[in-house]
Amino acid sequence: MEIPNVASSEKASGKSIQTLGRTVFSRELALAALTIFTIIVFWILYPTSFANFRNFSAILRNLAFEGILAIGMMIMLVGGSFDLSVGSMASMIGVVTGALMKMWNWPVPLAVATGLLVAALGGFINGFIVAKVRVNALITTLGTMGIFQGIALLIGGPGITYLPESFSRFGQAQFLGLQSPVWVLIVLAILAHYAMAHTRFFRQLYYLGSNPKAAHLSGMNVEGLQTFSFVLMGLLAGLAGILYASRIATATSTVGVGAELQAITAVILGGASLAGGRGTIWGAMIGVFFMGLMKNVLIISRFSSEWQGIVLGGVLVAAVAIDAIVNRKRGH
Amino acid sequence: MSETSNQPLAEREELVAMQGIWKSFDGNPVLKGVNFGLLTGEVHALVGENGAGKSTLMNILAGVHQPDSGSIRLRDRAQATIPDEKSAQALGIAIVFQERSLFAQLSVAENIFAARQPVKRLGRIDRKRLHENTRLLLRRTGLEADPQQPVESLSPAHQQLVEIAKALSHNPAILIFDEPSSSLTERETQRLFEVIRQLKSGGVGIIYISHRLPEVFQIADRVTVLKDGEGQGTRPIATTSTDDLVRRMVGRSLELRHQDAVAAGNPIFLEVRNLSDPPTAPKAFLRNISFNVRRGEIVGFAGLAGAGRTELALAIFGSRSLGAGEIFVAGKRVEIHSPREAIAAGLGYVPEDRKDGGLFLDMTVAENIVSASLRRFGQFWLGDREQMDVARQFEHSLRIVCRTPKQVVQRLSGGNQQKVALAKWLLVNPTVLIVDEPTRGVDVGAKAEVHQMLYQLSRRGTAVVVISSDLPEILDISDRIYVMREGTISGELNRLEATEEAVMRLASLSPP
Repeated sequence: MEIPNVASSEKASGKSIQTLGRTVFSRELALAALTIFTIIVFWILYPTSFANFRNFSAILRNLAFEGILAIGMMIMLVGGSFDLSVGSMASMIGVVTGALMKMWNWPVPLAVATGLLVAALGGFINGFIVAKVRVNALITTLGTMGIFQGIALLIGGPGITYLPESFSRFGQAQFLGLQSPVWVLIVLAILAHYAMAHTRFFRQLYYLGSNPKAAHLSGMNVEGLQTFSFVLMGLLAGLAGILYASRIATATSTVGVGAELQAITAVILGGASLAGGRGTIWGAMIGVFFMGLMKNVLIISRFSSEWQGIVLGGVLVAAVAIDAIVNRKRGH
Repeated sequence: MSETSNQPLAEREELVAMQGIWKSFDGNPVLKGVNFGLLTGEVHALVGENGAGKSTLMNILAGVHQPDSGSIRLRDRAQATIPDEKSAQALGIAIVFQERSLFAQLSVAENIFAARQPVKRLGRIDRKRLHENTRLLLRRTGLEADPQQPVESLSPAHQQLVEIAKALSHNPAILIFDEPSSSLTERETQRLFEVIRQLKSGGVGIIYISHRLPEVFQIADRVTVLKDGEGQGTRPIATTSTDDLVRRMVGRSLELRHQDAVAAGNPIFLEVRNLSDPPTAPKAFLRNISFNVRRGEIVGFAGLAGAGRTELALAIFGSRSLGAGEIFVAGKRVEIHSPREAIAAGLGYVPEDRKDGGLFLDMTVAENIVSASLRRFGQFWLGDREQMDVARQFEHSLRIVCRTPKQVVQRLSGGNQQKVALAKWLLVNPTVLIVDEPTRGVDVGAKAEVHQMLYQLSRRGTAVVVISSDLPEILDISDRIYVMREGTISGELNRLEATEEAVMRLASLSPP
């Protein structure tokens, strides 16, 4: 037995082709298969109303909002934490930005920048309370969820309508048949995927979520990472709120009601775990897309909207249960 | 020896007679045919090193474990087994555990009478009676506390007294104390002894497990020594001495370890001067600790569980706030406030519990090995292939048995997990590596390999600090040994002075 002197052999040998990814049962792949299966089935059943570009464009447009939240939520869950305040945050930032440009006549770019700044600040408050004061994330963000929602209602009442055209122009713009919020989602998803898969900083979140104490003893800045992920989540939620307001030219005070649970559902469907340390961005995107798809096919096949919750809830519990059974069989 | 023994031992009734008790865990024999007896109105001390089998023997008596063979007689009943804790309670056996088993948020009364609260009609809890009974029990233990006070508001020592009150509430005929004084002050210990003497005069038989030999001489009537799962004889306390007990507890003869002597002139790589916990901290414990480790030296830290060795390591490594003291690494004064800064200063720390702080159990072997060295694999494009290559090198050279470095660590054996935990720090290659319990829960073969790794590391010039509760291990691999007791260093031994007797004496005796 000889301890390798790794410092001198740092250059890659180039022999191995495997990467660090794990070969375990993957909820991402299972869900992707189910998604494709659903598409094929409805393609055959409803060749006209389902299988056309306009319908797919509509599915994507409707999921841009939740998709952006899901990116942030996946990052949170990988790091072993989560944030219930994201829906209220989106509502509040939409309203704050709308109020700045409508009531106080701020220029649009300044209003948007200020809105994002407030979002980052709100995220920082969450992060500070969880990481530094060490209050449980559930309780902290349950509290700030109420606070942010209250602020949104205080400032905006039910909402702020007829936002300036120079603001709504961006959200309604189209490129290659897709609205700009969809393109923002795609760009953000690619960036986030790159960050989580390849940068050292974000890779630390997997370690943090897996075992915070070991991460601390490995020299990682646990408090800093946690705070950062809350700030990022706040920023993404704020951005989602602003984009939504821009698309419909209205800042609605209740746009985000229930969005936090939708986002958590989507990322867990897509492979995240409440225990932390697991999940990928593309998994989050599949989760969101699958949810949008299910809503769409239920409407097309004329089920009443009450069925949405039943079907999605059933799929969520089934996905996690199958996962638990498979992992137990493998001796976890 | 004691003022209440107004009756010669021989004429008292025998409460317990355990004969030829054998017990194995996972094929490792822990008790090898132990005999143990207890008389009415007697305090019988049970002493031995960590892992000698004391707690296992008592857990068998308390119904927690079943013996593989052997017989237990209670009074004149030939009771072959005590199937569970409940039947032990019914037979009048109560145990005060070393680790407190209280419900922190519940009141004192509710803890003492957990699930046995006196009730009125319709099952309503009779609070008046509950609190009255609690007060009576507390008075016997000398604890002045409100029965309605939550247990978490009491000091650890007072919680210990609640634990004792809980045991007394069963009106036991046989009461077992497992290290009762480890969290008590001198005054509280004396108060505990008064309680014990009272119980004794009431005819209760008491088994007292302790590392503190002076206490044993103060309170016990007889003493039994256990070593490596074998009884080393039972004697009346008057016919024995501290030296005799220590010799029977450790028992091995001094063997010369063959090892390259480290040049005493090597530069000092780690020096700690007058380290103490902040006096205002809620758990101020470490006091005035100074020591040094030279290049290429393996320095062992011995001591009993709870002596403060892990706390010292965490304080040096920046994971526990430092009150006073200076730390020098390779001659340079360093200020360390976090493990991150400790690593940057050239320190490494392998935690005592690999499952708790050492490993990312649900991550892969490769991910674990690189976890403290991500920096060397790039910032914006982590080299996955390079990480795999490094992991493979360690897999081969340390003989880590896994299907592939992509296997999840959780599924490896204890020995292989420990090798992964060490590999992580070998990759960091620190100036000073602190290894806390390097071979706890690993098999003999892996243990030897881990020792080889530590030798090699020292030969490569690393200063190695080994914390271990395994005394033969410490004696075997250390060039020098510091012994800790109650938060401070009680002595330093060089290789020739270091015998098990010498270490045990420094670890367990109070200063003159």
